[in-house]
Amino acid sequence: MVRFIVRRLLLLIPILFGVSVLLFFWVRALPGSPAESLLGERATPALVEAYKERYGLDQPLWKQYVEYMQTIFRDRDLGVSVATHRQVTDEIGQRFPATVELAIAAMIFAVGFGIPLGFIAAKRYGGPVDQGSLFFSLIGISVPIFVLAILLKYIFAVRLAWLPSVGRIDLLNFDAEHPTNFYVLDAIITRDPETLWDVIKHLILPAIALGSIPLAIIARITRASVLDVQNEDYVRTARAKGMAPRIVDRRHVLRNALLPVTTVIGLQMGFLLSGAILTETVFAYPGMGSWLRDAIFNRDYPVLQGGILFLALVFVLVNLVVDVLYAVINPRIRYS
Amino acid sequence: MSAAELEAVEIQLEQPSGGLWYEAWYRLRRNPGAIVGAVLVSVFVICAIGAPVIAPHDPAKDTFLVNGILQPQPPSRDHWLGLDIQGRDVFSRIVYGARYSLLIGVVSVTIGLSIGLLLGSFAGFVGRWPDSIVMRCMDIMLAIPGLLFAIAIVAMLGPGLWQVMIAVGVVNIPIFARLLRGSVLAQRENDYVLAARSVGVARRKILFSHILPNSMSPVIVAGTLAMATAIIDVAGLGFLGLGPQDPSTPEWGTMLTDSNEYLAAAPYLAIIPCLAIVVSVLGFNLIGDGLREALDPKLRGRA
Repeated sequence: MVRFIVRRLLLLIPILFGVSVLLFFWVRALPGSPAESLLGERATPALVEAYKERYGLDQPLWKQYVEYMQTIFRDRDLGVSVATHRQVTDEIGQRFPATVELAIAAMIFAVGFGIPLGFIAAKRYGGPVDQGSLFFSLIGISVPIFVLAILLKYIFAVRLAWLPSVGRIDLLNFDAEHPTNFYVLDAIITRDPETLWDVIKHLILPAIALGSIPLAIIARITRASVLDVQNEDYVRTARAKGMAPRIVDRRHVLRNALLPVTTVIGLQMGFLLSGAILTETVFAYPGMGSWLRDAIFNRDYPVLQGGILFLALVFVLVNLVVDVLYAVINPRIRYS
Repeated sequence: MSAAELEAVEIQLEQPSGGLWYEAWYRLRRNPGAIVGAVLVSVFVICAIGAPVIAPHDPAKDTFLVNGILQPQPPSRDHWLGLDIQGRDVFSRIVYGARYSLLIGVVSVTIGLSIGLLLGSFAGFVGRWPDSIVMRCMDIMLAIPGLLFAIAIVAMLGPGLWQVMIAVGVVNIPIFARLLRGSVLAQRENDYVLAARSVGVARRKILFSHILPNSMSPVIVAGTLAMATAIIDVAGLGFLGLGPQDPSTPEWGTMLTDSNEYLAAAPYLAIIPCLAIVVSVLGFNLIGDGLREALDPKLRGRA
C-alpha cells in the first residue's frame, strides 16, 4: 500500500513538470502582452519596453522558465498579479477556500439527494418511482450548468427574491471576520449565526447549479450498483436467516453498493473544479473559476500560470486520494 | 419433444444470427429511450440542414426593429418565439443555431476521435516506451480540468467559431486515446489475434482489420455521448464570451449571454435557447445510452 502511494506520488512529478512547461509556453503564446493590455491606449513602445524589463519578459524564454521555477521552489512565490498587484499566493489563499466551499456544498447536495434517490429507485425497480428517477437523472445530465444557474437565478433570486443572486456574503456584512477564509467555518468559529445564515444563503443556488450533474450521475450509479448487489448470495443468505429487511439493506446491500459510488464521487470532484468557472461567472462568486476567467481576458501571466498550476496540482492529488481510498475501502482490490 | 422438433431447433441454432451489429440494431429498435433520442436528434439535424427552408426570416438581420427602438417582443402569431432585443426573429435564430451546434459538435468530436484513435491504438498496439510517452502526454492534458483547458486554447487562438471547435476537440483527444488504448490492450491478448499472427498476417493488418474493428463499440458509445458534451461545452464557451465574436451569429450559447442582461424583462429570450440546448443534448444522451445497452447486453436496464 505504502509502495503504491509512493509510486503514484513519484509519477505526479513528471506530470506536474509537463503541466508547468505547457502552461509556461502557452501563456507566452497568447496574443497580446500583459504590458499592452494593462497600459491600453497609453502603450507607447518605450513604456512597453520598460514594463517588459520590470517583469523580466525581455529575457530568453528558457531563462524565464528557470527563473520562474526557482522562485516557486525557493520562495514559494508565484509572482504578482499584473492586474491587481497582489501576490498570486495571497489571492489563491483567498479564492481557493471559496471554490472549495462551493464544491463541498455542491457535493453535499449531490450525495445527500443522489444516494437516497438511487437507492429508492433500485428498491422499486421498474415502478413509476424508478422510471421517474431515471428520467430526471437523464435531464440532470443534459442540462448544462450555466443554463441551470441562469434559470435558478431568475426564479429564486430575480422573481421570488428568496435568495441573493451574487457574491459570497452580503455587502453590508463587510465587518465579519475571516480567519480561515472558509466563510462557513469562520462564522462558526466567531459564533456569528447571522453571518452563517447569510453565507449559507449565498451558497444555496450556486451549489444546486453545480451539484445537479454529479447528483444525476451518483443517483444512476447507486441504482445500478444496488441492483447488482441485491442479487448477491450473501444478501439472500442474510434474508433467509430472517434478518430484518432494513438491517439487510443497511449492512449488506448499501455498504457494498456504495463502493463504486465513492469512485464516482471522487471523479466528480475534478468536474466540480471545472464547472465552478461557469457557476462562479453566473453568480459573480469570487472563487478560483471567475478569477482565472478574468485573468485570461486581462492576459495576467502570473495569475494564469500560478492559478492553473495550482488547480492541476489539486486535481491530480484528488485523483490520487480517490484511488488510494478505493483500495482502502475495497480490500478485494489491491494494487500491484 | 419429437425428433423433428429437435431437428428444427438445431437448424435454427445453426443459422448465423447476423452478428453483433445486427443484434445491437435489433435491441436498439426496441429501446423506447433510444427511439425518443433518435427523434430529437433527427429534428435537430433536419433543422440544421434545412435551416434556410424552415426559418421564416433572416436570423442575422434586425428586420423587425420598430422605429429603431430596442425592445424585445414576446411570442406572437407572426413570430412564434418572439423577437429579441435587436428585433430579430428568435425562431429563425434557434433554427439556424442548430447548424452551428451540429457543425461544431461533429467537427470537434471528429478532431478528438481521430487523433485520439490514432494515438490510443498506436500506444496500445506498440506498447513499451512509445506507449509510455504517449500516455504520459495524455496524463498531462488530463491534469488540467477540461473546461479550463478549452478556455486556455481559445484564449491562445483567439475567440471564434473554428477556435472553439479546435479547443473542444483537443480536450477530447486524451479521453478517446485512453479509451481506445484500454480497448486495444484487452483485444490484443485474444486468441484470434494469436491465430492471425501465427498464419503470418502483417502487424499493421492485424491492427487495422482485426483489433480495431473489435475495439470500436465503446468508442461509438463514447463518441455519441461526446457529441452531447461538445454541444454543452461550446455553448459554455459561447456563454463566457469566447464564441463567435459577431453578435448576429445565431449561436445558442451566445444568444443566452445576450439575453442574460434582460432576464427580468424578457425571460423567454433566455429560456428558449436553454431549451434548444437541453433538448439536443438530451437526444444525444438518449441515443448514447441506448447504444451502450445495445452493444453490451449485460448492462441492460442498469446504468
